[in-house]
Amino acid sequence: MGFEPKIIAFCCNWCSYAAADLAGTARMQYPHNVRIIRVMCSGMVHPELVLDALSHGADGVIVLGCHLGECHYQDGNRKALARSEVITELLEDFGYETERYEISWLSSSEPDRLVKAFTGITERVRKMGPVNARDLAG
Amino acid sequence: MAVRTVLEWLNSCSGCEIAILNIGEALVPLLTRHLELVHAPILMDHKYLGQRGDGTEFNIPEAEVGLVSGGVATVEHLQVLLQMREKCRILIALGTCATHGGIPALMNGQDRKEGWEGVFQTRTTDPGCSVPDVEVPAPLDRVYACDEKVEIDLFLPGCPPNPALIAEVLMAVVEDRDPVLPHKSVCDTCPVIREGKGAVSVVRRFLVNAEFLAEDPIDRMRCLLEQGFMCMGPVTAAGCAGGGLPRCIAARVPCRGCFGPVRRDGNQMLDMMNALASNGSDFKSVVDRRSLLRFSGAHGGLRPLRRKSAAERG
Repeated sequence: MGFEPKIIAFCCNWCSYAAADLAGTARMQYPHNVRIIRVMCSGMVHPELVLDALSHGADGVIVLGCHLGECHYQDGNRKALARSEVITELLEDFGYETERYEISWLSSSEPDRLVKAFTGITERVRKMGPVNARDLAG
Repeated sequence: MAVRTVLEWLNSCSGCEIAILNIGEALVPLLTRHLELVHAPILMDHKYLGQRGDGTEFNIPEAEVGLVSGGVATVEHLQVLLQMREKCRILIALGTCATHGGIPALMNGQDRKEGWEGVFQTRTTDPGCSVPDVEVPAPLDRVYACDEKVEIDLFLPGCPPNPALIAEVLMAVVEDRDPVLPHKSVCDTCPVIREGKGAVSVVRRFLVNAEFLAEDPIDRMRCLLEQGFMCMGPVTAAGCAGGGLPRCIAARVPCRGCFGPVRRDGNQMLDMMNALASNGSDFKSVVDRRSLLRFSGAHGGLRPLRRKSAAERG
């Protein structure tokens, strides 16, 4: 059995969670490694939530929000983008590779983009290996 | 009846004990009437292994309340702390070292081996010097806060802790009630003028003086963060406010974060960066951001930087 990563996905209620719903009803296949957590807006995903997920054993975290400019709460996803920059910058400080985190945008009618994003991060993290098996010596 | 009390210090500088002394007049009735100190290495000669060192069992007397300052950095600290937990009904972590690791936990941010060698084998030490392995308690793999090792009943952070709050906690124990402690952030106790978000694009270090009129009181001064200085008020627990003003702000100096995070499991650096970013400030302008964890490096806050693998280095 090869390594199967655990991926936490924060999906916003209005776009990406609806897209995931649509992917389900359309019977589209995506990796079973992804655990979806529904949030009201991608802008509410505090960097601490991402760090918490990684420190509790998630191998990768993805945040999915509405397209920029189409936020249900006007500018929530712009906030998410600003926070996302903090996250990618700070992951190294806490000893994680930045590639374990990703943010992406999609609308509720784009389940194919969702599947692509899920497959993308799963494959990438699968290659990186488990979250704490870092090469400390090298 | 006086409450049996134990004072102990681990990886500590004795600043917390000075803070106990600073309780001032209220300390007199506490010591003479309310508390009975049965063990306190800083004050009295009471040995762990019998007075002549001939005992075989670790001996800290049983007590109602135990105050422990300092973090856990060596096996000896750990042994003392475990014994304290066993013997004290209420165990209080006193000071930021005990609650969040404090200054000694800065060590957690670097490689332990290099750190220790840097201490014992510098260019100026005599040849042949090495990290001692006898007669000095062995260090743990990193510096821990007390609650990472034993259950702690009450947290009293601060570097140093606020004497008024120490007195409040001790009186609460004597009177068998819940202590009244602050639970908000430094900003909530800060009276300076705030004009709203979005004013700061870049955050500077405090290398030049803030803008204020010397004759004006503090509540006529503009918020230091809004003046563009790195002030940790938003992400630091309240409690330092002696006389109603946060202490550093009273000296017109930005908060350095010595009371640790507002929520017990908060992360000061992450919260500060997040606050700056979501207000539209350039968080990359903060120089040496890892030092924002200078008081809360335990609980895995500070870790050695990940070494890049050969492939990543290219």
